[in-house]
Amino acid sequence: MLLDRLLSDKEGSAARNFLITAIFWSVLGMGAGMLAGLEFSFPDLVHNVPQLSMPHLRMFHVNTVAVGWLSMGYVGSMFYMVPSLTKTKLWSERLGNFTMWAWNLLMVGNFCTLLNGFTEGREYAELGAVLDCMVVVALICTSLNIYMTVVNRKIQKLYVSLWYFLGALFWFPLVYIIGQRTFVALPGLNDAIIGWFYGHNILGMWFTTVGVGMMYYLLPRITQNPLYSHGLSMLGFWGISLFYAPTGTHHITQSPVPEWLKAIAIISSIFLLVPVFTVLTNFFMTMKGKWGMVVTDMPLRFTITSSIFYLITCVQGPFQATRWVNWYLHFTQWVVGHAHLALLGTFSFILTASIYYGLPRLTGREWHSQGLIRAHWWLKTGGFTLMMTSLTIAGLIQSAGWHHGIPIDLWSIEIRPYFIFRSLSGIMIVTGQVLFAYNVYKTVYAAPKAVLATAKVQEVKK
Amino acid sequence: MNGYRLGATGIIITFFAIITATVLLPMVLFNPKQTPSANNYKNTAFGEKGKADADPLRGRQIYVREGCFYCHTQFTRLQDRGYGPLVKAGDYVAETPHQLGTARTGPDLTNEGLRMASEWQKAHLVEPRSVKPGSIMPSFSFLSDRDMNDLVAYLQSLGNNRKYSAFVQAPEEYEAYLARKKVDLEADASANAGRGIYTQNCAVCHGLEAEGNGPNALILDKKPANFTRPFYKQYSDSYWFYRLREGVPGTRMPRWAETLSEEQMWYLVAYLKTLPRDQEVTINNMDQLNKVEPNKLPTLSNQVYEPHTGGSGKEE
Repeated sequence: MLLDRLLSDKEGSAARNFLITAIFWSVLGMGAGMLAGLEFSFPDLVHNVPQLSMPHLRMFHVNTVAVGWLSMGYVGSMFYMVPSLTKTKLWSERLGNFTMWAWNLLMVGNFCTLLNGFTEGREYAELGAVLDCMVVVALICTSLNIYMTVVNRKIQKLYVSLWYFLGALFWFPLVYIIGQRTFVALPGLNDAIIGWFYGHNILGMWFTTVGVGMMYYLLPRITQNPLYSHGLSMLGFWGISLFYAPTGTHHITQSPVPEWLKAIAIISSIFLLVPVFTVLTNFFMTMKGKWGMVVTDMPLRFTITSSIFYLITCVQGPFQATRWVNWYLHFTQWVVGHAHLALLGTFSFILTASIYYGLPRLTGREWHSQGLIRAHWWLKTGGFTLMMTSLTIAGLIQSAGWHHGIPIDLWSIEIRPYFIFRSLSGIMIVTGQVLFAYNVYKTVYAAPKAVLATAKVQEVKK
Repeated sequence: MNGYRLGATGIIITFFAIITATVLLPMVLFNPKQTPSANNYKNTAFGEKGKADADPLRGRQIYVREGCFYCHTQFTRLQDRGYGPLVKAGDYVAETPHQLGTARTGPDLTNEGLRMASEWQKAHLVEPRSVKPGSIMPSFSFLSDRDMNDLVAYLQSLGNNRKYSAFVQAPEEYEAYLARKKVDLEADASANAGRGIYTQNCAVCHGLEAEGNGPNALILDKKPANFTRPFYKQYSDSYWFYRLREGVPGTRMPRWAETLSEEQMWYLVAYLKTLPRDQEVTINNMDQLNKVEPNKLPTLSNQVYEPHTGGSGKEE
């Protein structure tokens, strides 16, 4: 049956399809980022091809990794984590698969429009009107599916991951609808205020909340340790929901927007340290006695790397949101490094961990190669560390340039070497991701080398 | 669901409270009026020569389409140097979608209009490294003629209405100092008195000849001012006094109010006013520190002055 092939109601199929297509988009999106990075080092690398000019690649890169790789991977992960946490089936696998198709279709639209320059010209909200509507539909379908799964749950108590997932699925569709500004033309600065409300909350109300929820799921599952403290996890959840949403304006602290709004944003940014430290205390205390496992257990190693990068991001974030630091560091590559620290270092790693953990249990097959997983981790961690270091140094040179009034022609030559290191790191990361995709392909589609005896979908619901 | 009504209500209320505070409230409370310094895209005079139909407003769409705002910002900040006048909130009323930008991989473009010739802008867009060696800007050679002309017209319209209308003035309270001063700033005697104070206190940075080439200039990040520049002819008496008294923030120029008396500072002003020349003396290398040429001293006169009792140079 065609319907069954396209909209399968096999258990776990929606999660599996979401995760696999997410990896496809990740290779494209990160590849675009790598090429854009190379064009920083070698500006005449691609000539006269508008689709491959740096700004077009950049908008495609940002939207593909954010809406394609991370968001699709998140939805896929929630589609297998929520049923296992509620000890029930996903409310509708067919709806899940429909969402998967809709999401992939809009990513194809994203590929066709952004590379050709059909953009709304709003950072992080570049997608056009039709694609915006498709994202909203896909998000609402996802929310409906997850909420109904939770309503039908078999255990009464909601684990903290579910709090995060349910919160994110309520917040993010609203944030997305408010933030797009597709059908309204606001005056410039109001446009910027809403734009950064959205630009920051796509992180705060979606990537962070779902990502932290996934860490809460994976850590106790993999280590078989009970969660250190439920009370602390609740404090972290309410801290994020209170302090994350108003922080957007800290992106434009030196522009002429109202001072009271900047004050709210900066104070909330600093208060964010509270949920961050509670969450990380919880993680690291849960790891107690099991730290040795990171040597052998690759999903756990990805999870722990992710949580360490989360610690660095979230200390850096409030630090650079304060006025006196922002005054110095704003507009520089430091901020680009920070953005990659959050999205690549933290959330891409946790999603990778979730795929390495979940996919064998969804497909019932052992990973094709453990060596490729290790290579992936080394390439990604090494590449990312190199990227972060080079961007941070480049940012410090740049900010010294602005601060001392040195003409851009002088300091822009000074940071060329760091751009070359950044390109190198991009190549490492994309190579890692290609190995990952190859591993997934061999695992899922090639003839099974070994079938995981215990791995069935039900196995996830221990 | 039953056990979690409070939690769910909490999430909903928290979120809508935050939306009200940070999204709806600014929409209601923050409505700046359009200022005259806002960009005007109706003027078509900035296109390529002979092509008056270049449309800056369409050029803005090209600017958005090509994603220029990823690397070029459009707001000047207090600490920026060389990017022209500061922006006001009302400058952005008609700017939708906003092009404030978030990273400066390239220079700020707030006041880019008319800074370079249109031909230069066009050459730079087609082949950036031919006019700016070492630049990492991508080439936009794929733009059609019409797109290119419109984009250049847009760039040339940026910040044209944002001009300095007046020289920076000393704060109002300095009029009181001016009113109660007893030193005759035009008298050579005062200038001579000022020269002594200058040699003792200022020459170590600004140089004996006031060319900004004192020995300390070697180690200062922000080089001391060269008072021979014709630019300093614009300084009013009260502005000189203000600069001396308060120092210059962000540089090593101290607040002389701590060290010198009001009267001594007026003598200094009298001396400093004699320094600006018609042709600027420039220092090209460190060998020229304090070795350029003898300064033209104020003419010595027989006028009597009492440095510390407020003599005006004439009999009291």
